[in-house]
Amino acid sequence: MTSRGTPSRFLKSVLQNGVGRYVCQLKRVSIMFSKKSPSALGVRDFIEEGVVDYAKKNPGTVVYVSPQLCNIPKVVAEYLNGNTKEELLTNKTSQQVLEVLTKLTDQSGQDIIRIRKPYHTDSPSIQGQWHPFTHRPPSVGLIRPQNQRVE
Amino acid sequence: MVSRIKKHRVPGKQKRVILPLHPLLSLCAARTQSSVSGDLLPRTSLSSPPWSEQTSFVSAEEERSRHAAVVSTVNDRIERQDFGRLFAVVHFAARQWKVTNEDLILVENHIEAECGDRIYLEKVLLVGAEDFTLVGRPLLGKELVRVKATVIEKTESCPKMHMVFWKRHRFQKKRTIVQPQTVLRINSIELHPRLS
Repeated sequence: MTSRGTPSRFLKSVLQNGVGRYVCQLKRVSIMFSKKSPSALGVRDFIEEGVVDYAKKNPGTVVYVSPQLCNIPKVVAEYLNGNTKEELLTNKTSQQVLEVLTKLTDQSGQDIIRIRKPYHTDSPSIQGQWHPFTHRPPSVGLIRPQNQRVE
Repeated sequence: MVSRIKKHRVPGKQKRVILPLHPLLSLCAARTQSSVSGDLLPRTSLSSPPWSEQTSFVSAEEERSRHAAVVSTVNDRIERQDFGRLFAVVHFAARQWKVTNEDLILVENHIEAECGDRIYLEKVLLVGAEDFTLVGRPLLGKELVRVKATVIEKTESCPKMHMVFWKRHRFQKKRTIVQPQTVLRINSIELHPRLS
């Protein structure tokens, strides 16, 4: 669809993240996989090797690992602004699963839709906004109506 | 035949554009060559502003003393840090941005820095406060201005459709383009008291 038909938003950060300290926006990560299905092989390898390192590297994120009887291995990420994102991990290798998790960690939870402007300021003008009379000296003295001479 | 201005790509990280040597010899500037020496462009109603230009004649010494007074005033202001909010024009990711404290920038590529890292934006072209502006030629020194930023977010853009369609030829292609994006927050612009 065109950009007019799809939703759009302005560039924003969640609660002025970055002005003081940077806060990782990922709150909770739940990895659901099955113990026997072949499509969850990469996820199982990742849980053997890489999950603990990932959890230690992101101390602000809670990692839940739940083996279930499911056909499709998934990861559900919940963010501080309340949004949820689901990614499928079918037939992915351990390295690819780590990349998906890193991508989810680096995102803030805002919607991935068209962003209208690639910048955002709260104070757009410092020296005063231009209007047509800035830096323009008055050229004529007093402006009088032309018909005064006739009278 | 129409001659084209070619772009020459240097292999490596930098991309340079070799412009024609003399601007008067390019194709679009063919009109600027006039047999009569004088104005480069023909005079139109929009060549000069509608108000009259006031030129006051000042001697060279007077002008130099005025310039020195202005420079010393600006230096005093910078020494005392007697300015409010600063803005800067920064060259980053092949674009120029007008930037203040606490504002956000979206860059459409991947940056070699993790989320939460602090970055110096070094190519500063212009710095301004409410009363004075410092214009670089073309850049201002690193000892003079420092622009600090933090990497907040590294996402992917929304999926964009790239479609090619030729009518009556049964030809169409469609693919989705997703680009990496980085959001930077400008933390501070600092002006240090060493102006030469």
